[in-house]
Amino acid sequence: MSGRRITITSGKGGVGKTTTTANLGAALAKRGKRVILIDADIGLRNLDLVLGLEKRIVFDVVEVAEGRCQLRQALIKDKRFESLSVLPAAQTREKDAITEEQFASIVAQAAEQAEYVLIDCPAGIEGGFRNAVAGAAEAIVVTTPEVSAIRDADRVVGKLRDRGKAMRLIVNRLRPEMVRAGDMLSVDDVCEILQIELLGVVPDDEEIIDTTNRGEPIVLDEANRLRGIYDKIARRLEGEIVPFTNFENNGFFGRLLDALKAG
Amino acid sequence: MTLLRGRGLGLEISLAGRDPDEALAELELRLGERPGFYRGSFATAAIPGPPGEAQLARLRRILEAAGIELREVVDTDAVPGELDRRRALRAPRAVRLSESARSLVADFAGARADIAERRKRGEASVRRLDPPAPAPEPAPAAPLRAVESGPGTLYHVGTLRGGQALHNVGNIVVVGDVNPGAELVATGDIVVFGRLAGVAHAGAQGETGARVYALDLDATQLRIATFIAADDVPGARERRPEAAFVRDGRIAVVPVQHLDSLGASTV
Amino acid sequence: MHVRQAHEENNAEYEAQPQAGAEPVKRGRAIVITSGKGGVGKTTTTANLGTALAQRGASVVLVDADVGLRNLDIVLGLESRVKYHLLDVLEEAAELDDALVRDKHSENLHLLAAAQAREKDEVDTEAMCDLIDELRERFDYVLIDCPAGIELGFKNAVAGADEAIVVCTPEVSAVRDVDRVVGLLGNAFRPQLVINRLRPALVKKGKMLSVDDVNAILRLPLLGVIADEPEIIVTTNRGEPLALRRDEPTGAAYHAIAARLAGEDVPAPMPPEAKESFFERLGSLFGGKRS
Repeated sequence: MSGRRITITSGKGGVGKTTTTANLGAALAKRGKRVILIDADIGLRNLDLVLGLEKRIVFDVVEVAEGRCQLRQALIKDKRFESLSVLPAAQTREKDAITEEQFASIVAQAAEQAEYVLIDCPAGIEGGFRNAVAGAAEAIVVTTPEVSAIRDADRVVGKLRDRGKAMRLIVNRLRPEMVRAGDMLSVDDVCEILQIELLGVVPDDEEIIDTTNRGEPIVLDEANRLRGIYDKIARRLEGEIVPFTNFENNGFFGRLLDALKAG
Repeated sequence: MTLLRGRGLGLEISLAGRDPDEALAELELRLGERPGFYRGSFATAAIPGPPGEAQLARLRRILEAAGIELREVVDTDAVPGELDRRRALRAPRAVRLSESARSLVADFAGARADIAERRKRGEASVRRLDPPAPAPEPAPAAPLRAVESGPGTLYHVGTLRGGQALHNVGNIVVVGDVNPGAELVATGDIVVFGRLAGVAHAGAQGETGARVYALDLDATQLRIATFIAADDVPGARERRPEAAFVRDGRIAVVPVQHLDSLGASTV
Repeated sequence: MHVRQAHEENNAEYEAQPQAGAEPVKRGRAIVITSGKGGVGKTTTTANLGTALAQRGASVVLVDADVGLRNLDIVLGLESRVKYHLLDVLEEAAELDDALVRDKHSENLHLLAAAQAREKDEVDTEAMCDLIDELRERFDYVLIDCPAGIELGFKNAVAGADEAIVVCTPEVSAVRDVDRVVGLLGNAFRPQLVINRLRPALVKKGKMLSVDDVNAILRLPLLGVIADEPEIIVTTNRGEPLALRRDEPTGAAYHAIAARLAGEDVPAPMPPEAKESFFERLGSLFGGKRS
């Protein structure tokens, strides 16, 4: 069996790739899927931090590539989610420590053991990005509704299209009150510009910074609405049709259906 | 032999066992990756056989471009051990330098594989030992711990930042902090005269008697030989000098002033 | 292959004195604004700091080194005025004067935009250094907006600079990444720190790192702290840097940073400098009152 290999990318840094990878992975695992998360940000690793697994790292992806250890020895099983494992990046190395071929091969190996392999892509469009994308067949593009982020996402969408990757979009850190005031682009605006299928919309939430600092994915917090949202994203990824929550209260839902039909 | 390595205050460039032109090209590439990083350093080149004029000129050009002063060229074929002798003479402080320059990283692979196995069987968490009750009679003086007489000590002054690493065949001493994300790997002991927050691996080739000392022991992960531990106790800790060593099959941590009363390290 | 060099770092007391006969020529300062982590506010800081410096009368050029993902022009509202970009100049396809775009609001402020449809590995490091040198002869300040990451883009942005400002948000991931970058920069750059997006209310609730928490690890001279506010996003979307509004808190904060950068002794309001030398902290380890 071969799992789906999805890279989570954005171009712009700081829009929430790592947080998305961690929470989406956790949400899929909670639904019983076998998930492997791979941190491709060599030298600036953060996925382990965000999941609170830093203290348990023994081997990393570079050592797997160099043959110093097996993939299974490097994988860290998350104790909170039955079927979630993480392959951390190396911290004391640089992006050129691993080639695209090596990375792709590791991703393929992981896909033999899991139903979902989610790759946390570094910021930018340089070597690290190329590695992260090399192994994947699909991509989730994460953006915030800000001009700079969308511009960068657009560049990334172009590159992914050139490489023939199937793409979907997550709009992160939406602030509906700012959209209403006309101070922030709406989800419709973003979809209009990027022209890729929408997978999810995540509103801005104060709590999230604290949870990433503490290493506890927000999907663990039953009181937080983001938990339900990541769950919906997981379900959509699985192929379910799940309506989008109407955050903006301005006919968003209706117009969105049109956007989806358009492509 | 590693092409380029740090030695005390300078760099050592070794062309032994390589095609000289390829090695010089690689050297140029490596130095070019960090423009200005080595500016002001000096270097020794170890070349097998008398060096060719063209090669030497090229080497000088490459080093000059990076701001490195070539202090001497040693012919490793001429007198075996000559390089070591010169190193010893050049050492500005009483630090004994390692003899052989084997590739360190490969040596640790075996030990680290064991660590992973051990971890899979169940992690050891750090156990902080209470000081024992005072003995009714003065305890016999603990035997002096033998001073390292083999490979020497890597001595580093300054804070180690995330992503930086020091590896040594021998001991490592850091005067400064070791930030999270930094890594120390030593075959001998590790001493951090500051806060240790990164990952420290002492006794990396299997010496279970190795120790880790720090003024503030707050490591992300501690490893001694094939034992591994991460402190599970969250919350405020008392910041005091502590030492970690292997005891009863696990890593234990005590305040340094209690080391002697616990006797010499027992495994 | 990874090179590990253990070299002695100079303690402040033992700093080498500048050589006699060092250049007396007055040249501008070339400062790279970097962080490692993306999205912490490098570009916003570059734009606002540049604006503040220019408003104080200095001549400033901002260089966007984020080839392929350029944003500095947007943040300044100059995207429609860019005719030539950095690579055009480096490749000598255009004159520097034709590429420099004058800012809408501050007449001493110019922008050299990045290319959007090119790649970072097309930048020749040496040509970049030469360009920065040339800019230093013409401007008091050359601020280089560094891309995220630590790859080639970062290296090229850093290559021409001799000072650095690192921008960090009060989050663990950001602090780790910035620490990595400080390590890569080495001592020569004497990086100074700007903490961005602080939310004092959250810090009070214990849900965000404080300035002290951040600088306990980074231990860098603190240039300033910018509190988070929604206005910042609005103004960057509109291309009007907040530094133009000197009498508002964020604008004032940027002006204070500019003043400190220029060497002025600007007092708080700003959290007290958290940097303690290693030996000061040592005192507290052995039973001192501070923790």
